[in-house]
Amino acid sequence: MNKVFSDKKAIFLFVFPAFLVFFMIIILPIFFSAYYSTLDWNGIGKATFIGIQNYINLFVNNTDGFVMSIKNSFIVALLSVFVQVPLALILALVIAKGIKWEGLFRTVYFIPVIISTTVIGQLWMKIYQPKYGMLNNILDIVGLDFLKHNWLATPETALGSAFFVIIWQYIGYHMLLLYSGIKAIPTTIYEAAEVDGANNFQKATRITIPLILPMLKVCVTFALVGSLKTFDLIYVLTKGGPIHATEVPTTLMFSTIFLQNKYGYGSSMSIFIILECLVFTIFLQKVFKAETITY
Amino acid sequence: MKNLWGKILTCVISGAIAISSVGCAGTKDVAQTDAKPGTEVAAEDTKEEVKDEAKPEEKVKLNVWNLWTTDADANAKSFSIVLEQYKKEHPNVEIVVDATENEAYKTKLKTAMAANEGPDVFFSWGAGFAQPFVDAGQILPLDEYLTPEQKANLLPSQTSNLTYNDKLYALPFVSWVGILYCNKEMFEQNNLKVPDTYEELLAAVKGFNAKSIVPISVGAKDGWPLMFFQNVLALRTAGADGSNAALEKKTAFNQPEFIQSAQLLGDLVKEKAFDEASLAFTQDEAKMAFLNGEVPMHYIGSWFAGEVQDEKLSLVKDKVVAKNFPSLDGTKGNKDEFLGGAIDCFMVNNNTPNKEVAVEFAAYVAEHMAKESFMLGAGLPAWKIDTTGLTIDPLVQQMVDLANTATGFVLAWDTKLSGEAAEKHKTLVQEVFAGTKTPQQFVDEMDALK
Repeated sequence: MNKVFSDKKAIFLFVFPAFLVFFMIIILPIFFSAYYSTLDWNGIGKATFIGIQNYINLFVNNTDGFVMSIKNSFIVALLSVFVQVPLALILALVIAKGIKWEGLFRTVYFIPVIISTTVIGQLWMKIYQPKYGMLNNILDIVGLDFLKHNWLATPETALGSAFFVIIWQYIGYHMLLLYSGIKAIPTTIYEAAEVDGANNFQKATRITIPLILPMLKVCVTFALVGSLKTFDLIYVLTKGGPIHATEVPTTLMFSTIFLQNKYGYGSSMSIFIILECLVFTIFLQKVFKAETITY
Repeated sequence: MKNLWGKILTCVISGAIAISSVGCAGTKDVAQTDAKPGTEVAAEDTKEEVKDEAKPEEKVKLNVWNLWTTDADANAKSFSIVLEQYKKEHPNVEIVVDATENEAYKTKLKTAMAANEGPDVFFSWGAGFAQPFVDAGQILPLDEYLTPEQKANLLPSQTSNLTYNDKLYALPFVSWVGILYCNKEMFEQNNLKVPDTYEELLAAVKGFNAKSIVPISVGAKDGWPLMFFQNVLALRTAGADGSNAALEKKTAFNQPEFIQSAQLLGDLVKEKAFDEASLAFTQDEAKMAFLNGEVPMHYIGSWFAGEVQDEKLSLVKDKVVAKNFPSLDGTKGNKDEFLGGAIDCFMVNNNTPNKEVAVEFAAYVAEHMAKESFMLGAGLPAWKIDTTGLTIDPLVQQMVDLANTATGFVLAWDTKLSGEAAEKHKTLVQEVFAGTKTPQQFVDEMDALK
């Protein structure tokens, strides 16, 4: 075994095929997109080189609503880091303590993650339907019918409704990651703490959370980067509407490239999204630079 | 010895891993549905069988794309019938049909054509929609492939939207017309008159709202169904010639007629002619409201007649009367002008290896669909057809009679305009609907479209 690890040629040979696939499917298209973003091109005709003009159009005197879509994606990012992950953490803490039907809860919370986003989008579209949807009907029954809205049809409520579904879908995913992190902590530490008279809250904040900090970092990174790239739920629920109220950079990029035939301009949007995600990931690495505590 | 053996084993294993990771990409699968722009470098170029096109006995495979995912509307049914006929007469040609829903179809087609992975024959819209494809040389000009017989049967007036630079690039089957479908049972139950004029339309809207019935259903989320209303109002205010002149950039949109068209749409919204939540409904949801008998009016293309008269889908069969959009007094337009035209067509990919077979298929389907679609009420035939001894559905007969009185046509503006302009136009109409833009702003931004 040591021989394999120290034999550089062997390492190269084993890593190379996977690296090749990764390079061709992920890295190379990024370079292609970067090249396309310097062109004025409709995807199938002649392309004219215009340098960084596309990027300037994105931010200076922008008429597509790109700046607003970035604002929307930031709202989703903030919500997912400060609402979704804490909720997942609380759920994980409660379930990992060893309550009755632990396995059942774990499964139930994870189900939204494995259902296809298109199916979830269609499901919530029916729930939000103004006349027959479950949400308005329940509000009626409970007597709160002044709260009824055309959830996905009015710009004010569409944003909140769509974001609610996005946050809801992946809570189970983060919960599961944190749950596995918590389960890895040896129980001897907890027993020692109980001997010293720690209550549940102190156990959670003084022992559990510091020890699962690496896992938390993973969750926050996934939540942040995932929400900056969110596409499918917004596309199915509102298609970016009503009247571009719920546009995020990805849906705007989609409509720019495929509906408006502006391949070069859309590519510049996609490069921006990639750079944005990279910057945030590096930022998060710095924030979470606490040394990993080993036990 | 042990060292050498270890090295050989390492090479063999990594070689196997390398081959297996690339191996799955090389299948001869004709999965055109996975076409992605430039990302999948593993060239899944499926032009496998470059058959000799001159020998009709040889097996030929044609990839055909369309947007008829279900057998619901008139054109979908007509296509199925004609496809079966074609297969019987040409057993050596294998047709692989791939259908995608309307909105997704536009994206899929553009992506595939951009990646040079387009199908052999496909459904398309002419005028502005296909302009980029024609300019990039991806569509086969058909003049030299059609037989003199076919050219004689094709009605010349129906090819104006499919001719670019004096060459014919596509074959139409029917020309559609915009029809206001009225559920006359609902009108009679509520003692209201089916509208002929705009004032009568407003009266009907008031009447239905008083009974808490939504008067008109529209799938505003998809953009184009709502756009039909503004387009037909502009047809009434500015006339067919006026609308076409502005669309071709010969005149500006900043004229009182077009401002009025946006104003009238806003008025209809204020009068609550549409459901408030229409911006959340797709066309499929809006049409179901009409087919279920919940909403008395629906303004959409003539292809809808097939679904209205289909017992499996519709609860309003034989209860519906077809009318042109109500007339407006004192304007440049008149009541005999229609939204519509011959824009739905079949095109042949310039890169297809089987040009003659593909054109023959497209021409066969287009010509026969002209008759079948007409019988099912999708529109007026674009080819000469023999109507002796055919029984025509009464709803279809109404539409034929209406269309035969037509004095002018304007295409739906999102097919006449191209790419970015078409998308911005649809957004502008939605903004007028939601009240976030005034009619003056609407025409100013229409003029600013490239």
